[in-house]
Amino acid sequence: MRLQIGYVPLCDAAPVILAQELGYAREEGLDLDLSAEPSWATLRDRLALGHLDGAHMLAPLALASALGISGPPSDLAIGLPLSLNGNAITLSNALSAAVAGEDGFGGDWRGVARAFARVATARRQAGKPVTLGIVHPFSCHTYQVRLFAQAGGLDPAALRTVVVPPQHGVEALSRGLVDGFCAGAPWNEVAMAAGVGRVVALGAEIAPDAPEKVFAVSGRVGEAGAPLVRAVARAGLWCADPDHRDELVHRLGRRAHRDRELGLVARAFERRGPDATGRALGHLRLGEAAQARAPERLDWLLREMRAAGQLDADPAQEEAARALYRPFS
Amino acid sequence: MTESSLTVAVIDPSQARAAILEEGLRAAGIGRIVVLPDTADLHERVSALKPDVVVIHLESPSRDILEQMSGVSRHAGRPVAMFVDRSDTTMMEAAVDAGISAYVVDGLRPERIKSIIDIAILRFNAFARLQRELSEARGELADRKLIERAKGILMNLKGLSEDEAYRQLRRKAMNEKRKIADIARAIVTTADLLG
Repeated sequence: MRLQIGYVPLCDAAPVILAQELGYAREEGLDLDLSAEPSWATLRDRLALGHLDGAHMLAPLALASALGISGPPSDLAIGLPLSLNGNAITLSNALSAAVAGEDGFGGDWRGVARAFARVATARRQAGKPVTLGIVHPFSCHTYQVRLFAQAGGLDPAALRTVVVPPQHGVEALSRGLVDGFCAGAPWNEVAMAAGVGRVVALGAEIAPDAPEKVFAVSGRVGEAGAPLVRAVARAGLWCADPDHRDELVHRLGRRAHRDRELGLVARAFERRGPDATGRALGHLRLGEAAQARAPERLDWLLREMRAAGQLDADPAQEEAARALYRPFS
Repeated sequence: MTESSLTVAVIDPSQARAAILEEGLRAAGIGRIVVLPDTADLHERVSALKPDVVVIHLESPSRDILEQMSGVSRHAGRPVAMFVDRSDTTMMEAAVDAGISAYVVDGLRPERIKSIIDIAILRFNAFARLQRELSEARGELADRKLIERAKGILMNLKGLSEDEAYRQLRRKAMNEKRKIADIARAIVTTADLLG
């Protein structure tokens, strides 16, 4: 059976890509046509309208689409969680210098958040609120920015958040269109390498193990759903194995990134100690860690979506959301 | 509000395609059409322009910017702008097929938007057809050149007439159930390699 699978070119799309490239899908009797999508909205629409049968998605966007509050009506299930801890907050050189502690960013991120709150408050009072980029309103990036603000005692409403497509991140920072952004791997590494910003806090610190990306499956695939999810899950385990790191980076480079960013892509997967600046980079987790059954992660997601004003405090809607999660396990 | 008072912004990575849509909208009497380039400061430009409708090609990574600007969350307290009428799946499918999406300000009647979307669908589909035809024509021209070269090679190497050379190409293609152009390509490639 031939299935159309969509993804956005990011490190955490790896399990979806590798499910096809390693032959796991074929072993389940499925031929996957992979399609790189230019935006989350377009991926969501194509999945809802039947141009795609499954997709790598932002977890909140997948839920929002399935619940009918984002994009065309859809018949979706969240087949599998894909990734954790790939996001980070990068600030412009100027702003990161202003919020750095005495020892750079090696200390507690909450100290950084408090410094950030002070700067943001002053800027707001001066009529020039701090502007941060996110990838889409329905994303963990949105909630991590909110939590970062709140950790410092700042009302998230004091910030201006705009969507910045990740490939425009470096330009947006260098032109001062944003003061920073929250993005997934490898875009924080790209910005640092370009010398336009510094990572000041990790998603892994602000909201440990937040369910960032999931694999969403259309109801249209029927009985092929379980084998499809199995193939992607297997690929996820392969991706998480450090022995496969080189091949993983190479294959991702071919599908998702220009070759010159491969070194940066590799860094996204490494569990590294603090670098010279005192900030540890690289916590993206795929495979078993991400796929583990963890109802508290869905709880967290729903809570944050409510806090952001995206979901009602509606028991029926919440029950519907829970029913959509992991029906294949 | 009449058509002539509407401001429509067009965002498309393809300048040629955007120009075709602009022409179509102008012909329909839309008052103001602004083609916005897909740059990092798009958010600022759209904010400054305050368009009534934004038509954007699905290839553009900037769709997510519009998602947020239009306030896709109905709790956002901003004017809810959605892609046409969410219940109009036929329209949405036709638009996605044609490769477009649109965001509108609240308060604009669905029929007004529908006519704009219809024009965009027609124009974008026409453009896609032209692109396909062009690509096919280019392919045919390239194939013809290959066949000419292959004939020349056979004529030189085996002392054949042009007709006989072509017959041999055709016979080989039929025997192997391949296209004549593919056989020609193999001959030309081999000849290039063997110097």
